[in-house]
Amino acid sequence: MNAPPGPERYAIGGVAPRAVFRPATAAEAAEALRAAARDGRTVVPWGGGVGLAGATAPPRYDLALDLTALDGIVAYEPDDLTLTAACGTTLAALRAATAAHGQEVPLEAAHAGRATLGGILAANASGPRRLRLGAPRDRVLGARFALGDGTLARSGGRVVKNVAGYALHRLLCGSRGGLGVLLEATIKLEPAPARRLALVFGTDARALGDAARWAALLALEPAALTVVGDGLAHELPVASPTDSCTLVVGLEDDAARVDQQAAALVRMLGEPDARLEDEAAADLWQALADLETRGQPPGAAARLTFTGARPAAALAPLLDAPGPRPAWLLHAPAGRLHVFPAAATVPDLTERLSHAGLVLVEAAGTPVPPAPLLPPPAAVLELRARIRTALDPAGTLAFGPAWERDV
Amino acid sequence: MDRTPAVLAELRALLGDDGVLDSEAARLAYESDALTLERGAPDVVVLPRTTDEVAALARWAAARGVPLTPRGAGTGLAGGATPRHGGLLLVTSRMDRLLALDAERRCAWVQPGLVNARLSELAAPHGLMFAPDPSSQPVSTLGGNVAANAGGPHCLKHGVTANHVLGLVTVLGDGAVVTLGGEALDAPGADLASVVTGSEGTMGILCELCLRLVPAPESVHTMSLDFASVEDACRTVSAVIAAGIVPAAMELMDRQTMEVVEQWLHLGLPLDAAAVLIIEVDGPAVSLPPQVERIGTIARAHGARSVRAAAGPAARAALWRGRKSSNGAYGRTGRVFHLMDGTVPRSRLAEATAAIYRLADERGLHAGVLMHAGDGNLHPKVLFDHDDLVAERAALEVAQDILRVCLRLGGTISGEHGIGLEKISLMRETFAPADLEVMRRLRGAFDPAERMNPGKILPAAEGTDS
Repeated sequence: MNAPPGPERYAIGGVAPRAVFRPATAAEAAEALRAAARDGRTVVPWGGGVGLAGATAPPRYDLALDLTALDGIVAYEPDDLTLTAACGTTLAALRAATAAHGQEVPLEAAHAGRATLGGILAANASGPRRLRLGAPRDRVLGARFALGDGTLARSGGRVVKNVAGYALHRLLCGSRGGLGVLLEATIKLEPAPARRLALVFGTDARALGDAARWAALLALEPAALTVVGDGLAHELPVASPTDSCTLVVGLEDDAARVDQQAAALVRMLGEPDARLEDEAAADLWQALADLETRGQPPGAAARLTFTGARPAAALAPLLDAPGPRPAWLLHAPAGRLHVFPAAATVPDLTERLSHAGLVLVEAAGTPVPPAPLLPPPAAVLELRARIRTALDPAGTLAFGPAWERDV
Repeated sequence: MDRTPAVLAELRALLGDDGVLDSEAARLAYESDALTLERGAPDVVVLPRTTDEVAALARWAAARGVPLTPRGAGTGLAGGATPRHGGLLLVTSRMDRLLALDAERRCAWVQPGLVNARLSELAAPHGLMFAPDPSSQPVSTLGGNVAANAGGPHCLKHGVTANHVLGLVTVLGDGAVVTLGGEALDAPGADLASVVTGSEGTMGILCELCLRLVPAPESVHTMSLDFASVEDACRTVSAVIAAGIVPAAMELMDRQTMEVVEQWLHLGLPLDAAAVLIIEVDGPAVSLPPQVERIGTIARAHGARSVRAAAGPAARAALWRGRKSSNGAYGRTGRVFHLMDGTVPRSRLAEATAAIYRLADERGLHAGVLMHAGDGNLHPKVLFDHDDLVAERAALEVAQDILRVCLRLGGTISGEHGIGLEKISLMRETFAPADLEVMRRLRGAFDPAERMNPGKILPAAEGTDS
């Protein structure tokens, strides 16, 4: 086992753990959890640290369990379109393995070179193609995991259709390390599209408020339709030279379909400022995903992520507000909006966007998470508490209370 | 539970007189779902109309320690809706309303008793559809589909039911009403709807469902391909997937299945072939002709004797009628059969099929195979005669051995029908004791008293009576 970096490298919200352990095997990981549960210590499982970088520190944080040594592809059958890998494997490594067979891992996350399979699932990470690809829970076919008490178990399997037993592998997606520790997962892959094309357009507040235009764009069923807002567009490798906002339309399909969609787009919006093909287009999707962690680590802006956004209506509270606008980015097909406000404006902005019908799903880089418009009802909180107690009776997983409580 | 006048009066006070059935005839009518080998009559059948009524029933049952088993249309093939321990059978047939349809956000709120096919009919004017299409869809309910995480031929491209569930208003065993998930693609907080989906009524009663709708495809092409061997057909399936084409559906019928379907429906199936594949592609009109051509080329290279495109909607409907009628066709033969639902990796289909024929043959039995080949999901049927007890026992053993072959090939014992009562005995061969113990812990969090559809999915813990 390589010596891991020191505890300060695993700080969350400025709080470093007392110790770090980097297991070489799943059994070692389970043993570390068993020992922690016995000694009453709390544990945070770590992948690449992409999501944890902006997280709020847990109430107690004794041990960082670095799972990046558990990496590598366990089984990959291209003819089956499925892949099983250890959860410390990076997204970049998974992409490299599948690209060689003309296939694609239908997962997206910021910083693909660092983001791990387990971290992506635990964070319920997604990117510009969220609607096209589905969420991690839609792609995970089975998993091996450890509970807080060190119990090693699995659910699901390696086949694409499976209803045997409870789908704990889906429950653990989005559980942020608070309910169990993912060790190995099987993913349903996709064939890589024959052609990828990104068209980049400048746009402005007036055009973004046009609901009919949004409807027409979404009706084309693009793989991605992302607007990068004020103050953020310049961070992209391509950006409109003149307009304040940049609209990226991503097309992925067979060549004939992509040509058809592209022609329709040009009729609607005019010639684009830039066209990126294939690998350059894929790099742009990654750049859009990377923007999500902009401003981290804390100290810069916070990030609030909302879902349920109808594009024109969702942007109005941002675009119509007086004063300087926070940076923002909207993945329109999934209705997923990321806003990067100054810390002081978080409560006000949360309220305004919630009133516009958006649902706050994540807050990063805020010392105190914003209060939700509607806290979960007592019955839901009680159910979550029973689930957490059942799976982690000693409360070993440090993010368990957050899993239980958060909106 | 006792069916005393006082008990019945309490239930009628909750639901009205027409919401409570306690006659011998009614109780026997509900003693099993479509798995008729397992039976267990409920003490009382209740038919609520609203979430509030379900919550009231759950509180009533909790206060008396009475088991509560939900049931939709009863088309389940694993005994999931059979009330093994009596108590209340909660039938959702009167909870059959569409509550809201939001075409812009592509979702619909429905009550659990709404029939699957009806939702797609209601969504059609908006250019949308509900994608999961189990063969039972003309009668099976959406609540049952979600509880079972149902599949269907078109899951190959569009995903299983779990991929189409956004939110679930669920009544827990203690009567608490919880909203899990919501209309947005990613709900805030813990994702409990994803694990309640497929839990076969053991975690709660689904009362209001928010389901994803998807755009109806612009165009559809359906083709039928026939093969001199099942192996060639299976290899074609793998080759199509490996070539980067994900059709909407790839369905395989073997000769035995074609024969029984043909005797009934006279569709002109190629009875001299060992297997026929139905492959359907859907999507943008511009994309499909090249896909059809590539599939034809791949199939011929793998031994397809003929590749025929359905010439229009009527021909397409006939192909699907043949496929979706096969269970009924077997039923019409007057023989009984065990129907299995194993899944293997797609690349092992040929191997699995050969094992099915061999295992049946060794016991002197006939087997027919139908499969959602694109998903690796096999539905073999092992046939026997009504009064032949020896053959019946042999068929059951063959069925279990077939599922063991699926496990050995890296697959599982159920792709879409569920565990219910039927496959509990194989759960210990599918999962390790620790896996099952974790599942028990999770179930206990939802239903500490184990009164929600008791006796399903999980075998009793080691060392206790089952």
